[in-house]
Amino acid sequence: MDIKRAKIRDLRNALDNKEISAAELCGEYFKRIEAVDPQLLSYITVTKDKAMKDAENAQKIIDAGKSAPLTGIPLAVKDNICIDGVKTTCASKMLENFIPPYNATVIDKLNEQGYVLLGRASMDEFAMGGSTQTSAFAKTKNPYDLESVPGGSSGGSAAAVGASLAPAALGSDTGGSIRQPSSFCGVTGIKPTYGRVSRYGLVAFASSLDQIGPICNDARDCAIMLNAICGHDRHDATSANVDTPDFTEKLGQPINGLKIALPKEFFSDAVDETVKSCVLDAAKELEKRGAALVDCSMPGLKYAIPAYYLIACAEAASNLSRFDGIKYGFRGEGRTFEELIRDSRSRGFGEEVKRRILLGNYALSSGYYDAYYKKALALKQEIIKEYNDIFEIADVILTPTAPTPAYKIGAQDNDPVKMYQADICTVTVNIAKLPGISTTCGYTADDGLPIGMSIIGKRFDEQTILQVADAFEQGFMTIAPKL
Amino acid sequence: MSAYFPTMGLEIHAELLTKSKVFCTCSAEFGGTPNSRCCPVCSGLPGTLPVLNQKAVEYIIKAGYVMNCDISRFTKWDRKNYFYPDLPKAYQISQMPRPVCLSGTVNINVNGVDKIIRINRIHLEEDAGKLVHDDVNRISLADYNRCGVPLIEIVTEPDFHSADEVIAFIEKIKLLLQYAGICDCKMEQGSIRCDVNISIAPKGSTELGTRTELKNLNSLKAIARAIEVEIERQEELLENGERVIQQTRRFNEQLGETTAMRSKEDAHDYRYFPDPDIPPIIFTEEELEAIKSSIPELPEQRVERYVNEYGIKKADADIIVGNKTICDFFDAAISEYNNPKAVANYIIGELMNRINRGEADMENLKFGGAKFAQLVEFMQTDKISQANAKTILREMIENGGSPKDIADRDDLWIKEDNDLLAKVVDEIIANNPKPVEQYKNGDQKVFGFFMGQANKALKGAASPKAIQEYIRKKLGE
Amino acid sequence: MYDYIQKKGYVYMAVELKTIEHLCELSKLDYDEEGMKKVMGEMSDIIDLMDEIKEFDLTYDDTKDGNEIRFGDTREDVPEESFPTDKLLANAENTDGCYVVPKVVE
Repeated sequence: MDIKRAKIRDLRNALDNKEISAAELCGEYFKRIEAVDPQLLSYITVTKDKAMKDAENAQKIIDAGKSAPLTGIPLAVKDNICIDGVKTTCASKMLENFIPPYNATVIDKLNEQGYVLLGRASMDEFAMGGSTQTSAFAKTKNPYDLESVPGGSSGGSAAAVGASLAPAALGSDTGGSIRQPSSFCGVTGIKPTYGRVSRYGLVAFASSLDQIGPICNDARDCAIMLNAICGHDRHDATSANVDTPDFTEKLGQPINGLKIALPKEFFSDAVDETVKSCVLDAAKELEKRGAALVDCSMPGLKYAIPAYYLIACAEAASNLSRFDGIKYGFRGEGRTFEELIRDSRSRGFGEEVKRRILLGNYALSSGYYDAYYKKALALKQEIIKEYNDIFEIADVILTPTAPTPAYKIGAQDNDPVKMYQADICTVTVNIAKLPGISTTCGYTADDGLPIGMSIIGKRFDEQTILQVADAFEQGFMTIAPKL
Repeated sequence: MSAYFPTMGLEIHAELLTKSKVFCTCSAEFGGTPNSRCCPVCSGLPGTLPVLNQKAVEYIIKAGYVMNCDISRFTKWDRKNYFYPDLPKAYQISQMPRPVCLSGTVNINVNGVDKIIRINRIHLEEDAGKLVHDDVNRISLADYNRCGVPLIEIVTEPDFHSADEVIAFIEKIKLLLQYAGICDCKMEQGSIRCDVNISIAPKGSTELGTRTELKNLNSLKAIARAIEVEIERQEELLENGERVIQQTRRFNEQLGETTAMRSKEDAHDYRYFPDPDIPPIIFTEEELEAIKSSIPELPEQRVERYVNEYGIKKADADIIVGNKTICDFFDAAISEYNNPKAVANYIIGELMNRINRGEADMENLKFGGAKFAQLVEFMQTDKISQANAKTILREMIENGGSPKDIADRDDLWIKEDNDLLAKVVDEIIANNPKPVEQYKNGDQKVFGFFMGQANKALKGAASPKAIQEYIRKKLGE
Repeated sequence: MYDYIQKKGYVYMAVELKTIEHLCELSKLDYDEEGMKKVMGEMSDIIDLMDEIKEFDLTYDDTKDGNEIRFGDTREDVPEESFPTDKLLANAENTDGCYVVPKVVE
């Protein structure tokens, strides 16, 4: 069976029709992982033994004719989602040997369907970064160009799907960490509405922004994954108590009359010309199919980067304080508690994580709180208001996913400011708690790197953005990497 | 007389009587082997999230009402960030700008004088764990069983000027919390704890002096003593022309002194910010009304009811209500035997007397109010003599049991044996011609002599009433 | 120790050394001299970027976030079985069911 860019639903048919067994299927993926991943470095841990057991259980369900959509489907899971008994490192030396004693709620939900775990996908350390180059264990490469970054922080998940080392993967998105690597790796990733998916078991970066979501080959597979992982969770007070619709329901419906807004600030000089024209071409393509394009503006975008980094880092500084070397994780040396904790943290965290902790504590510390943190919260309210205004006149919003295609490894090293500014297209979606999906809308002419566009929807309206992304994908020819 | 007067404010922490912890479903009960009442949430494992316990919120609202506070219609939770090994998340979930309760008042009475103490705020937070220090191996052992037990922190205005006022206030708060069913207030188990902010200023001064904060106060006695000692210390400093330094001081009960805690107080920057894991809560008027109306009868109303409905003296009602255990015991007793006055008298006159002498422990009595009530009823209805009642009570305190069984076993009933009565009294009269003579000459006082002699000889075989009647009859002949 | 700051005293920095040292204290992070030099430069640039938000003049109203829940949506007070102690302590240095902490100096 050719697993290159195989869709979940194709694999489902193959499994249910007994063209392949669950064990054989994950065997195929492991073969590719063994062949390709030594160069790609998308996995931190490959869980072959567990996968074989998972596959055996799945096969029983399939043989009993009781398959759920994900029964026997092999998946990669970002290394910041806790799995009972499976090392969960967050790509940090701090958690190099950490084995959680409990499952994240999304893992419980996947288990209910009988999924098969291929392994733990690499990421930026504690999900802080946009290149996966801050990973302490696997600095993932881009499947379209091994000298370029795969994006991040869910770079391992996106690269694994892009290179067909998994048919789909779970990622997490705090400021673009699902959408931006999806665009860099030529795949489709959705960040659900904040509260749609339980965060219980996701090692927190910024609690008010984090959201788990799938990275897949297309919007249809994303819908299948969302159906599996969404829902209210009594272990997460921020998970929304709303009904979960069937996310595949609106797929294939015509987009006639749908209003698509293009906020002009997202097409400024900060965005590469190639990316801009590619996304605008895609907009015209959607217009041809009956959608109406609407001009609009989002003045608050100007301050989005500082607002995002102040909020995210403030929460991160507090969330990461629990890593003290006592209860779990890297234990440094010291004769006193104070010495031990300083040594554990100074040696356990990487440089980018430390910078963000310092920034977060700066924003919260006495004398600075009002000028920075409170200001950022005010801007958050303003951005929510501006989005609401746009959704008065449009159904969805279309933007580039990132200002550039994948860039060369090392190009942004030693320049945190440049790195932060590159998040401009994605962060407001997290700030406003909205759903956003990134799908490929073209490839660069010179080196064939994927370019992604993002479709942003109203809160809890994942169905419409899936519908629009799917409508585009149906008329678009994807190019798989040669790898 | 000192040239200074002290000013104090209190921070009282009280653990709430919820069944589960405030942010997870572990048991909130006291005790347990180390880390046996813990889960990934209260142990601070990465990825875990807090989910707020409704009962804890209900209890703090009740606390607010019993202290006449304003209840916020919108309340939220904040993180207080600091590193300490008894705090696994390295932040305590607490409340900063929007606590559940604001600005209340509590009345106290000190040596007959009424006084109002103002409450600044009451907020909800989580307790920390316990560290046991092993000095030999230079390590500490951390047990998180108490982590996440719900606490309310009651912050008063600086309205206290003597240790007596402080003690009266804490006793009042204990009673209010106990009667409202919010906290068991066992100081020895740490379920209620008190920190005292204390400063002194020259008499007549309108400005407050520099304050210190006293911690580690484990009993009312310790609080009173620590205040006294700290006032003396501050006075001495000022007298010697030195300054009081703002700091936290620990009271050492053995040495009877306060010592500065080696902590970098001024370096503390808790970086409070709203906890993104816990949504703010809004209350409707109906919800608050329902909580308010579910508050059980409070001590002041109870005293009033005892006086008005039961005809108990105010002083006696104060004594009974002043101890929740005794009061519950009293209520149980009068539901068995509806004679509140007699029950109250026997509790105060006999039972509490023994408790005060250390013969009995109210918290660990071997019998309930119902059994006690039976004893009072037997006595009131002349089935058991007062002397024998005392004997039975002693037996109940020592070994438990019911008064009926003890009276049966030890033959302590009044038998109304008229033959024996006649025989005994006749003999006494025959053997004491002189007092008989006196009585007949109008000396009523000797009647007591005959009663005493008869009681002694009859050992409860006849009721006092029967004895009295028979003696009168005989002497009148 | 950080005399390079004094020597290069003319260099504009959005943050002072003592600010960074205070942040390290709050964060429980240590840097050697080289690392401190580097992080100061980086933090200075980052804070310059953050300072852009100061232009924005709206105030925050915490009652208008719209994320509040109703009192009735909170968790019912029903205790459940706790977690096995050994599983909780599996990632920690432990003895007698407790986490081992080096001596705390107050």
